[in-house]
Amino acid sequence: MGGAPAGLEARSLVKRFGATTAVDGIDIAVRPGEFFTVLGPSGCGKTTFLRLVAGILAPDGGSIRIGAADLTQAPIWARNIGLVFQNYALFPHMTVAQNVGFGLAMRRVPRADRGPRIARALETVRLDGYGGRRPSELSGGQQQRVALARAIVIEPDLLLLDEPLSNLDARLREDMRSELADLKHRLGITTILVTHDIHEAFSLSDRVAVMRAGRVEQVGAPTELYELPANRFVAGFLGPVNEWTGRVGAIADGTAEVEFAGLRSCRVPALAGWRGGDEATVILRPERLGLTAASAAGEGAVVGRIDQVAHLGNLVNYRVAAGGRALLAQAPAGRTGRFALGDRVAVAWDDADLAPVAP
Amino acid sequence: MISGAAGRSALGIRLGGSVWLFLGPALLLMLAAYLAPLFDTTIVSLHPNRPTGIDRDSWTIANYLRLLDTYYGEVLLRTLRVSLLITLFSVLLAYPVGVWLAGLGPRGQAWAILVYMSPWFVNAVVKSFGWTLILGNRGLVNRGLQSLGLIDSPLRLMLNETGIVIGLLPGHFLFVLLPLWAALKGLDGNLRWAAMTLGARPWQVFLRVTVPLTLPALLAGAIINFTMNMAAFAAPALLGGTRTRVLSFIAYQVNLEELNWPFGGALAVAMLVVTLGFVMVAQGLTRGGLGGGRR
Ligand SMILES: Nc1ncnc2c1ncn2[C@@H]1O[C@H](COP(=O)(O)OP(=O)(O)OP(=O)(O)O)[C@@H](O)[C@H]1O
Ligand SMILES: [Mg+2]
Repeated sequence: MGGAPAGLEARSLVKRFGATTAVDGIDIAVRPGEFFTVLGPSGCGKTTFLRLVAGILAPDGGSIRIGAADLTQAPIWARNIGLVFQNYALFPHMTVAQNVGFGLAMRRVPRADRGPRIARALETVRLDGYGGRRPSELSGGQQQRVALARAIVIEPDLLLLDEPLSNLDARLREDMRSELADLKHRLGITTILVTHDIHEAFSLSDRVAVMRAGRVEQVGAPTELYELPANRFVAGFLGPVNEWTGRVGAIADGTAEVEFAGLRSCRVPALAGWRGGDEATVILRPERLGLTAASAAGEGAVVGRIDQVAHLGNLVNYRVAAGGRALLAQAPAGRTGRFALGDRVAVAWDDADLAPVAP
Repeated sequence: MISGAAGRSALGIRLGGSVWLFLGPALLLMLAAYLAPLFDTTIVSLHPNRPTGIDRDSWTIANYLRLLDTYYGEVLLRTLRVSLLITLFSVLLAYPVGVWLAGLGPRGQAWAILVYMSPWFVNAVVKSFGWTLILGNRGLVNRGLQSLGLIDSPLRLMLNETGIVIGLLPGHFLFVLLPLWAALKGLDGNLRWAAMTLGARPWQVFLRVTVPLTLPALLAGAIINFTMNMAAFAAPALLGGTRTRVLSFIAYQVNLEELNWPFGGALAVAMLVVTLGFVMVAQGLTRGGLGGGRR
């Protein structure tokens, strides 16, 4: 306890609620000290997974190990896990200090040692001096931080965060996000964050697992997932994509020539199982699609017309009708190279930015 | 948590102006139907009773001095003892029953509440008569225990304070159970899990989270329960018998059989003062931190 950080290993976890299988055979290994995020759409089983790890729910199958110990059957209070609930779940009848000290009292930490540890935890979440307040006298962001202090003061083997930022307004969320990023470095506790927010997941995590309908679709570092999504679901969930389906031509040295109706043919790394004549899908992120004025179009460029423009402040999103497709492009909002609705443009891309995806 | 202050302003009631127009009739009705008779009773209790009737021309505190007679002292003590005993039993039963109830499914809860309400479906006199069939010397309980060979002579289960407690407890328990049940159901279920992940065993969750957050509701129920016990009339009269009278029955006798309204008034005022005293002490306890000082 409280020594070297522990890892988590969940094997073939299954949890059913009547006819629905909320968690359908999850294998996740979190490394010691890692900040790991489970990312997925609403209802995919993220909270259920977290509750299985915490011991609030008993699995219908599979095992959970934290560090060297098999905790599959261990009662909640014996797991030494810090859990931050989506609604914070602070004890309304206790002061902030009493809330934070609750776990210490349960662990029979001597009274004299509790005070300094509570003070240090509150300092860590930048709430020094708030110990005497009641939760009802705090803002949402402050309550959030009390919940965090309450979870870390016990020096848990594992810190679980269930959508900790989703109840905060946009600015506060940004603040808390950078605070969490700081904490992560200072504390070094193995942490599992559950969220449906890609920015949250990517900015905080060492690795991310993308979930769909109770299953893990892919695990990897944020850039890995973004650049090489395992399938169309992961690609689409991590942001807007251009998704082109064409036909495989020649394959040589693991590189396939793929023909797309209306576009030029491209050379992409072949997926295992691709044969000549097969259907193949590749993706291209909008920010990798270059736009130039049609007059300056180079050899092999595809020319089209801009039919949608959306300014995001620092970025501009374009939709281009070209080759019978709707192509998405994103560009920095500079003074130069801006296009207007109806402009004729040439689109270009580097084949190295294309990623083949399984259906 | 935050809903306290927000809730108040959300109601948006400013006392003044048209509000009195709506409150007026209700206030007048209360004044006429409740406070006026009470005031009159108090005045009457300060007049002497003569064979010719109430002597409204002279004033006296003799009626109150008569209360100091040991007989009335005993009756008052008995009334308090029985009332507090019923409240104590109700409070002791409240958490086990309430926690069990709150854990049932919706249908189970509806049926269980119906069962706990059932004492009120029967008239108090009929109900008390029913109890005599069960509690009497040749009643169900005593004959059952005798046929099992557990007792030789019948237990005295009625015509004493035991009878009053047994007769009132089932019906009056409801008033402790209902508020507590509502409070238990209103608890955020995550508080329980939060406490457990922090290392609390189930009994620690109960003592440190569940009880502090629901105690105000329990105490509110206990206060209602206590006042109902103090005021109960029919069941104590029938199950307590002639030697075990409670204050409300004495007041009935003095007022309606002896027609001694001045002394009956003094009895009523004394009962009111004692009951209110206990209620205020109990409320003081709630506010004074037993409930964890919720705001
Ligand atoms: N106690 C329960 N009883 C029945 N079904 C449940 C229960 N808890 C969750 N489910 C179901 O299991 C599935 C997964 O739920 P879960 O709460 O884990 O989703 P989630 O990924 O956390 O979603 P969100 O992002 O909306 O919080 C859902 O279909 C949900 O309806
Ligand atoms: Mg959830």
